[in-house]
Amino acid sequence: MIYETPRFLPAGDRYILIEFGNEMNLLLNFTAQGLASAVAAAGINGIIETAPCFASLLVHYEPSLIRRSDVERELIALIGAMGSFDKIELSSRLFYLPALYLDPWTKECVEIYCRTITPKTPDPELLVEINGLEDVNHLVRLHSSSEYWVASLGFWPGLPFLMPLDPRARLTAPKYNPPRTNTPQGAIGLGGASHSIYPVATPGGYQIFGRTPVPIWDQSVSHPDFEGEMCLFRPGDRIRFVPITRDEYDEAEARVKENRYRYTVVGYQKFSVEAYGQWTAKVGDAL
Amino acid sequence: MDSQGGRRIMIEVLKPGFETSIQDYPGRLGFWNQGFPPSGPMDSWSFRMANLLVGNAPGCAALECQYLGPSLRFTDDAVIAVTGADMQPQLNGQAVPLWRSVAVTAGQTISLSSARSGVRSYIAVAGGIDTPPVLGSRATFNKAGVGGMGGHAIKVGQMLPVAAGAGCPGLEVPETARPRFSTDRQWEIEVCAGPNDDWIDEAGHERFLNSFWRLSAKSDRTGFRLEGPEWTFTEKAHNKSRDHGSLPSNIIDHGYPLGAINLAGQTPIILVNDGPSMGGFINPYTVPSISFWKLGQAKPGDNLKFRLVTVEAAQDMAAQLMALCVPATLVTI
Repeated sequence: MIYETPRFLPAGDRYILIEFGNEMNLLLNFTAQGLASAVAAAGINGIIETAPCFASLLVHYEPSLIRRSDVERELIALIGAMGSFDKIELSSRLFYLPALYLDPWTKECVEIYCRTITPKTPDPELLVEINGLEDVNHLVRLHSSSEYWVASLGFWPGLPFLMPLDPRARLTAPKYNPPRTNTPQGAIGLGGASHSIYPVATPGGYQIFGRTPVPIWDQSVSHPDFEGEMCLFRPGDRIRFVPITRDEYDEAEARVKENRYRYTVVGYQKFSVEAYGQWTAKVGDAL
Repeated sequence: MDSQGGRRIMIEVLKPGFETSIQDYPGRLGFWNQGFPPSGPMDSWSFRMANLLVGNAPGCAALECQYLGPSLRFTDDAVIAVTGADMQPQLNGQAVPLWRSVAVTAGQTISLSSARSGVRSYIAVAGGIDTPPVLGSRATFNKAGVGGMGGHAIKVGQMLPVAAGAGCPGLEVPETARPRFSTDRQWEIEVCAGPNDDWIDEAGHERFLNSFWRLSAKSDRTGFRLEGPEWTFTEKAHNKSRDHGSLPSNIIDHGYPLGAINLAGQTPIILVNDGPSMGGFINPYTVPSISFWKLGQAKPGDNLKFRLVTVEAAQDMAAQLMALCVPATLVTI
């Protein structure tokens, strides 16, 4: 649900977490991103930075410059002044990202976890079971059938938090208990209803079932497709995973190593919230 | 040559120690929304004092040593100070007092060994370390290769540049203005309730606040893993939309405050300076900034006991420490 009034949750001496709802949908993400932009534009003395995600916004403030009650007052005013998101259209790049599903590296990573930490159902099989799918091939078909919305970046530099735009591709999963201490770079995963790609080898809590051979993080800021940034993606982008074979994976990896890899990016499209809403209503009726 | 035309002091790394890194304070702010943590010193109290001793601004770039310190040779005369954990620093074999500014002459080597009390030592140099800032900060995020020198902890053979400075030897941080490290391997850590305290039931809160939590060896600058009793949850954690994920500690991914006691399954992890900015686990409590120095000086195997304080009390304590970290606190010996 979307809360009638946002919930302000204290988070230590320097942060406030604002929750707008307790589900994942595009409207909540627009609200979080919209408030983040409004806070940045307002330039309030003492507000250091924000971190928007699917349905919430974390605000970092400096208590020696602004009181918590004043931060809340400023935020309530900004929320009140935010317009409706129903009619907006925004530029949205579409990335086609090669993905080797059911790859040997994520499989090995899960096997090591089972051996050294705690036994569990292998991740792809767990997703099949929990989501009532036919088999792992069904998982691959479904996962690669939708565009994914970049709702935010976080966890690690450049890591995108994604949600499928096609409601028919919605999947859910539990998160690891306890989390992995390692995940292969480029692993593709799902936790709750949120999807992601691991930019480098890091700890992780999502179920993993595929891997992309191409980097989504470039600290040298040298690749032309990163447009001068360290992170390939920005909120409002869309990603489509293109299933590839092992040979294609190796070929793409070799191109990356030789600095010959170019990303397939489509840059002319606009994302219309109204048209998307009409389409999902139609798809929802058919479900 | 620096801008004044003088010779630029360099520090040559003879031995790097264990992940000794360049840090500044408060670190790399403003990029939490892209997943960049602030980094910066774990014990910012000792760090700020080291800088003040050598005449720098409290947040100036300096070295953080962990567990085992480095050996460093100075190409020119300099003024330095070592604070924090006692790694028995020596200057060409002579003991260097902690919490005091000392003169170093060209060619001398400072060597730190392993930490006797605490974990992290800070070495500040008058002028401050002058590596190129990345996203507005010189702080090192070692695991991601951001900031510092070449993105990582210092390496043998590197030459660390130092900016021009005017420090004077013979200043000291009085004992009353130093952090007091635990001698019995027990630490009382302040903690504020929230943001997700309503996901934990009464019994769970009681167990959290009344138990000792052992700091796991699987801890580093990204997170401190704690070992202790089980957590139990309220109805809210069990009966929820599938978007959260099915386990009680699972929540729709959200921004993490630094200091969050992040409940990953049943394993609480305190998210510290190089920690993740977002994720899908609940944070029932948050360690306020005033207690970070204690985390920075606690050893794996130490026992942490948490003390509930209000947000306002935590803010008052941080303000008191900020007021202490000023040049007027120092005394001349």
